[in-house]
Formats: sequence, structure tokens, C-alpha cells
Amino acid sequence: MIQVQSWGISGSVQDAGRLGRAWLGAGRGGAVDRVSLALANRLVGNTEQSAGFESSGGLAFSVTTATMVAVSGGVAHLTVDNGPPLGWGVPVVLPAGATLRVGRLLQGARLYVAVRGGIVGRGDAMHTGADPNTPAAEQAAARHEPQQTLRIWPGPRLDWFVDGAFHTLTATEFRVTDTSRVGTRLHGAPLERARLGELPSEGMVEGAVQVPPDGNPIVMLAGHPATGGYPVIAVVDPGDLHHMAQAPVGAALRFRAAR
Amino acid sequence: MRLLPCGPRAVLAEFHTLDEVMSAATAWRAASLPGVIDVVPAALTVLVQHDGTLDTSSLTEPIAADGPTPGPVVVVPVRYDGADLHAVADACGMSVADVIDIHSGAIYICAFCGFIEGFPYLVGLDPRLVLPRRATPRTRVPRGSVAIASTFTGVYPAETPGGWHLLGSTDMPMWDDRRDPPATLPPGTQVRFEPR
Repeated sequence: MIQVQSWGISGSVQDAGRLGRAWLGAGRGGAVDRVSLALANRLVGNTEQSAGFESSGGLAFSVTTATMVAVSGGVAHLTVDNGPPLGWGVPVVLPAGATLRVGRLLQGARLYVAVRGGIVGRGDAMHTGADPNTPAAEQAAARHEPQQTLRIWPGPRLDWFVDGAFHTLTATEFRVTDTSRVGTRLHGAPLERARLGELPSEGMVEGAVQVPPDGNPIVMLAGHPATGGYPVIAVVDPGDLHHMAQAPVGAALRFRAAR
Repeated sequence: MRLLPCGPRAVLAEFHTLDEVMSAATAWRAASLPGVIDVVPAALTVLVQHDGTLDTSSLTEPIAADGPTPGPVVVVPVRYDGADLHAVADACGMSVADVIDIHSGAIYICAFCGFIEGFPYLVGLDPRLVLPRRATPRTRVPRGSVAIASTFTGVYPAETPGGWHLLGSTDMPMWDDRRDPPATLPPGTQVRFEPR
């Protein structure tokens, strides 16, 4: 049994989400940084899609039986009561009765805690799934430097912006002003509209760079709604989205044309 | 039809009318094109999500005369006891009984889902019931509310803020994760409301 004492900041249980339900009005959902969830899962021997904790700090939970866990994604102080120390990117068995406490985030925007067998259930008391019968990692994972330049593609409504708006996106620096499971809000050179008026809602993809009337773009993350009504000027390359997911408030980001 | 770029794993097709959207979305979904992950209709667009291998030249415009092939008819039982029923009757210049007769006398088709998961935008509303949204949206619309706005009628799958006019309510759930598909009224479904 896993007993959550504190969900902390944006704490939740997430798997890899599900595509193919946008036509029913449901976005992909699941972990905002699937690359980090997959890594944490591999470390404990799970399949990459298994459900684990997503947290932006302050998560605390205890285990009632010996349970293997691993942390990836963002970096935070990790403390274990009644158990061995736990570092980033290393599988460790928490003994029965141990409590893992995730402190404030020091790097990145969200971290992932995988639990061997995956997390099953809802609420504050949950179970672990069946043991995967696959070995856990024998070596610690290497942590990659956060990437600050992300590839973008032209979006469907580029023609709603003044000439050169795509160039503005790729030639200037943006700063993260807010990030949630829905998206990351950026501030930089304003992206000026050539065409005013309302756009009827249309299907959106993860990574879509939506521009509300104030000109400050929002990059859609895994929790985004299936449709949206602001024009999409660009789309972040799916291979770079996990870097966007890890950009904390205040981080500087740049974009470059994907080709 | 215009195909607009949407990154390496999607393309957005833009149309002039909702009928064209419905025809294309129905045809492309039925075609099970290689690499396609989802076909997402909206008011004037169809978003086609794929795995990066889709040949977009296979997204051909359906012949308009074909029209969307209607799906099965789902009967939704409704208690016509909505908070806006009398105001709608007044605004449309008819009796409450007329509103109920007209709303329950038509067969609708789900054109697309959106707003929240499982919310169906049903077309086929009688022009006599077409009203703009409420000037002030409600902060809380009860789950199961049957409502109208503009040329659409729909059912709220969950409690949420909303600006549509509430005609009644149903106990029929609009979303069930254990079902495939989880939505009760996916795009293409024909719908009839039955007074209870």
C-alpha cells in the first residue's frame, strides 16, 4: 500500500496518457514529461507507460511493504524517513514503514517517482501493481543538461500574424512566466496579429503554440483541452516537448525552425 | 478544402461549412488511413493526427452530395424541467409545450465533441429555437443538463460553468471510461430526445 501524506504542488498520478480520444473531446492527458516518466519506470523495471507520481515539489508518501522507487525529471531535495537515502536516477527499495519526502524543486519544473509495479487506484491510499518480473537498472541514470533551444514548425494559423512573426519567434528570447499541466506561458517580443476577430474552436495538438490577444504565446502540454480558439502560430517538435515540460518559471527559451 | 500545416504529426483541414466538415470527418475515419491516430472534427476544421507517416494526399475531399453517413439513433430520456425553459419559450414567442414538442420532435446528429470530454455539439435544431448564448454564463451547470445555444443542442457530461440555455436534464451518463468509445454520443451519432 502507498499512503500519500501530502500531494504538494501539482502532485498527481500520471501514466503515458492516451491518444485517439480527441474526437470525443478528450486530450491526451498523462505525464507532461513522458521522457522522464519513462526513465523512472525503466529504472525500477516497469514498462515505460506505468503510472507514477508527477510532482512540482512537496509530495510525501509512505509505503506499508518494501517498495522499489526511482526519481527522475526535475531535481529536488529527497529525504527518506525510516529508510536509506535516495538520489536522482537510482532505484532504491524503501522498507516497510518508510516515508519519502520530496522537497522544493531546485532544477526543472516537475519530477517523477516511479514505483515498481506501477501505481494502481485513486485517492490517498493506493496499491502497487503486479511485480513486472523484469530486473531493475543496475546503474544510475545520467542526467542531461536542460535544452534551451527547441525546434518549431509553422502552425496552421501563421497567416493570422504579421509578416515576420515566425522570424520573431525564432530570433528572440522568451521567458517562462507560468507552467501548468495545460501549458507553459511565455513572455517575449509580442507576436502581432494581422487578422483580428474570432477563430472558431479547432482541434489542437500537444506542442501547439497558441497566441491569445495579448500576444504572449502559450505552449500546450499533455493536459491541454482537445480544442482551442486562439490561433496557433507554430508547433513545437514532439521530440523537444519534454524540454518545454521541464522549463520552470523564469527560464529563458529560444526557438529555431525545425528545417 | 485547404490543408494547413500542424507540425510533423498532424494536419488541419479547413472547410467552408459544417456539412463539409462532417462528411470529411466521417469519410476519413471510416477509411482507416495508414498512420492515422485520430480524426478530430470541429466547427470548420478537421484535425488529422498521425504517427508521422501519413501521406496527406490521401485526404481527399468527399463528394458533397454523399453527405455524412448517419450512425445509430440514440434515444436520450429528458425531464423538461430546465431553469431556462420558460425564458426560452418567451424569447422564442411560443409556449413551453411548443418548445418541448419542437426540441423532442427532431433527430439530431453529433457534428463534433468539445468544450469538455464527451460534450456533443448536436446539429439539426429547429430554426425557431435558435438563440444566442446567455449574456451571463452560469458558474455552475448541473451534470446531465440538456441545453441549446445558437444552432446547437447538447448535453453537459459533468458539472461545469456554461452559457447555454437549460431546457431539461437526463440521467443518461455522457462519458464512461470503461466503454469504447467512452462518449455516449460520439460524432456521427443520431440523437432523439424523449420527454419523461
